[in-house]
Amino acid sequence: MTIDWILRIALWVVLAPLLPGIINKVKAWVAGRKGPPVLQLYYDLNRLRKKSVVLSDIASPAFVVAPAVAWVAVASAAFLLPLGPADAGVSFRGDVLLMVYLLALARFCTAWAAMETGSAFEGMGAAREVSYAVLGEAAMFAAMLSLCVQTGSISLVDMLEPTSAVGTALLAAGLFIVLLAENCRVPFNDPNTHLELTMVHEVMVLDHSGPPLAAILHGASMKLLLFAVLLTTAVLPMDRFSPAGAVGALAAGILLVTVGVGLTESFLARISFRNVPLLLTMAFLLCLFSLLVAWKGCASALGSAGVPPASSGRQDACAPGDPLPSSARAWRGGAA
Amino acid sequence: MAVGLLIGVMLFVATVCLLAASGLAARSARASFACTVAGTAAGLVAAMAVLLGPGDWEWTSALAPGGENFRLQLDGLAAFFLVLVCVVGCAGAAYACEYWPESTGSAARGRAWWNALVLSMGAVLLVSNGVHFLMAWEAFALCGYFLITLDNRYAGVRAAGWLYLAASHVGTLALIAFFASLAQSLGTWDLGPTNDVPSIAPLFWLALFGFGMKAGFFPCHIWLPSAHANAPSHVSAIMSGVAIKMGVYGIVRFGGWLPVPDAAGYVVIGIGAASAVLGIAFAFAQNDVKRLLAYCSVENIGVILIGVGAALLARSHGNAAWGGLALAGALLHVWNHGLFKSLLFFGAGSVLHATGTREMSRLGGLWKSMPWTAGLFAVGAVAVAGLPPLNGFAGEWLIYLGLFEGATTRAGFAWAVLPAAILLATAGSLALAAFAKAGGVIFLGVPRTKPAAGAHECGPGMLAPMLALATACTVIGVAPSLVWMPVARAVGTWNPAWSGAANPLFALGPAQLLLAVLAAAAGALLWKKSRANGLRRAPTWDCGFCRPTARMQYTGGSFAGIASGWFAAIFRTEHKSRRPRGPFPASAFHLDHVPETVLDRMIRPTGALIEKLSHAALGLQHGRLPFYILYLVAGLAVLGVYVFLEAAL
Repeated sequence: MTIDWILRIALWVVLAPLLPGIINKVKAWVAGRKGPPVLQLYYDLNRLRKKSVVLSDIASPAFVVAPAVAWVAVASAAFLLPLGPADAGVSFRGDVLLMVYLLALARFCTAWAAMETGSAFEGMGAAREVSYAVLGEAAMFAAMLSLCVQTGSISLVDMLEPTSAVGTALLAAGLFIVLLAENCRVPFNDPNTHLELTMVHEVMVLDHSGPPLAAILHGASMKLLLFAVLLTTAVLPMDRFSPAGAVGALAAGILLVTVGVGLTESFLARISFRNVPLLLTMAFLLCLFSLLVAWKGCASALGSAGVPPASSGRQDACAPGDPLPSSARAWRGGAA
Repeated sequence: MAVGLLIGVMLFVATVCLLAASGLAARSARASFACTVAGTAAGLVAAMAVLLGPGDWEWTSALAPGGENFRLQLDGLAAFFLVLVCVVGCAGAAYACEYWPESTGSAARGRAWWNALVLSMGAVLLVSNGVHFLMAWEAFALCGYFLITLDNRYAGVRAAGWLYLAASHVGTLALIAFFASLAQSLGTWDLGPTNDVPSIAPLFWLALFGFGMKAGFFPCHIWLPSAHANAPSHVSAIMSGVAIKMGVYGIVRFGGWLPVPDAAGYVVIGIGAASAVLGIAFAFAQNDVKRLLAYCSVENIGVILIGVGAALLARSHGNAAWGGLALAGALLHVWNHGLFKSLLFFGAGSVLHATGTREMSRLGGLWKSMPWTAGLFAVGAVAVAGLPPLNGFAGEWLIYLGLFEGATTRAGFAWAVLPAAILLATAGSLALAAFAKAGGVIFLGVPRTKPAAGAHECGPGMLAPMLALATACTVIGVAPSLVWMPVARAVGTWNPAWSGAANPLFALGPAQLLLAVLAAAAGALLWKKSRANGLRRAPTWDCGFCRPTARMQYTGGSFAGIASGWFAAIFRTEHKSRRPRGPFPASAFHLDHVPETVLDRMIRPTGALIEKLSHAALGLQHGRLPFYILYLVAGLAVLGVYVFLEAAL
């Protein structure tokens, strides 16, 4: 148990900074540049670790503490996600809600720290972050509900293993847009610029330096990895693979998502801020339609307008698109 | 029956103490406060004895005020609400000692009405007879009025009081009709489970409206923002944290005792979802911190009603178990909201006390002068935004769990849980935004005005109750299993089919505790590491801009600007601005004001129309005799024609 936990944390902590490096490499490759090394973020983190901190006159100690709390929140959310055959670090009924709200806690901490500096820029970034998150969270909830309805379970381990069948394409598109928005990638935000007014996340962390900035950068990369894992496992039927195949599929999926983000950034310009809510609403609608497909697909499987028995448990409501419900999970415990 | 005796004695002691506290209010502040503490403690013991003990408590007296035998009953549900009344009743009285001193001139009156309010709310929960319920309800409403208008020198306070009184009586009118119809159908004024009389189901709508006026769900919330904003802060705390819960109690109580119409579950979920989203959207747009908190109460009532509606829906379709989870979440949220909203109102009161203003655009940077208040307000903000690891999340998580479980059953009737869950999430993220704004604009950055710069920390008399409430929020957050037994007891009282459910919080509790410990440890570690690396203070860098001044800070209005735009069609925000003109503009300004839309755009115009029509009708009354005779003759003639025509046909 303990070794599993340590390995899992190490995996998340060590691998996460790789993703921004891959994205930057893809962008450089498309633009015909050499680009920074893939491991650039590791070097940056190491450098920031040793640096001293410049703290604004008007900021309270919470300005330093908030990035740590946000990092813990993201790491805890990552801990709840199943990693193919390795399952999740902790799993219980309703952990999906905790995961979404942990990301919200991280957002609250970042916004709080941004307000500490009393700067117009950072307040603006915080306002944007919390406002756009309203739409992003609605999309996220619709996506999670659709997975719940599809699989008849509300714990991440069972929700993410079978593929979401009918609505997969809709769900994948919706979740990908949410991924871009939540991680502040193009077309919502340009992670390259620091001095542009039209930013969300980067502008909130302008005044951080030293170890707190390292916590923020690492937390952001971990959040990106979290969304990549979530998207991959939600789309792929993880329970159909052998343990080794599942690990391979997961890695391939994460790589594909990362390259996809890089390509999106290479070929797309940032949209104007007026249109951000529209794009997010589209993501919400995509997730909502996948939810409706899951709900209606099931209703039609039930037969005509027949109302199911009032106290129907999920067993007798209908079988989801998962022909091998529990037997395929036999490999679980051993692999972990 | 030792427990029954204990409960009876404790309730008697509580009554005597609270009456004594009311009586002593003018003589000795200290004695009065001691009596309040003793009374609420005794009430708390009685309520906990019911919640954790073997059974309900009942007592019938030969006394018969109003021609009905006096019967008291304390079951799981009533005791659950009584706990909240006692806790906030005690905390608010303690806070008032320093916050509302004798120099205000109304401290004694305040104490007297405060204890009367606590007592009358207890009476509402205890009586089980329609006539007595209405008496207690009216006493409770009047105590609330006198507390709101404690500082009646200001016109705004008096107007808020009148609005509260009027709205409250519109609700009471519906309740009188409700109880009278109920008594007529059942042949008795005694209240109790009457699920076997399906013909009285439509009465639920009357109860929903009557209690809803008190609970303040959208759009019955018209009285709430001004009353809670203008009342003294400890009164706002009990009004917002507890008094509006009496409305929720009524809905839950009679939704459980009476048969409900088929549509009840859907309607209550719909009202809840609308209140949650619109309440918090209005809160986000406010500039007055106490108004923000008041609108946030509308949201939280909505959250509670979503859970109650889901429970009604599940119960009317074969007692599906997820309804029990949703109801447990709703009830837990009743406690949670009572605790963190009182904490936040106390925090707002301390800010008001220190700076003399409730306008957030005049505050800022208060953490330096009021670090304790800032920290405790932050705890309340995290709790009210429903974020882990505090209690707000535990309650909302249970409601979500019920809704998601309902969704996974995929039963046709359960469709309503899908929009409810998504709207609840929307309300949650808006709440996060609203409290990032409130905390950030009030306590962070630099002071925007002189009073904000000269603020001072409040004394221990005000901090202690806040600290106690914040501790309660944290404890329920990291160890929610502690409160599962009372919650399960109340749920079992509401619907016996759901009693004895397994504790769903056993897994969440350790997760929240672990998160709290890790977050604290990581924060301390990072602070230590930063100190070790060298911590240098400098002006805010802000991308190389010169030292930012208070005027350059992001304001609350701008912070809420994006989201307010989405609700423009409902808000009807009033804009006033003068753009800078010419090469050397002399002055320019921009003002945004979100009105009380329902009150200003719907209720007031309707009222004005009625008044206008009445004035027109007044023209008929002029006091000239010949015309009255003419009216009589005309009336007789019309009657005659009518009778003639009827006979002819």
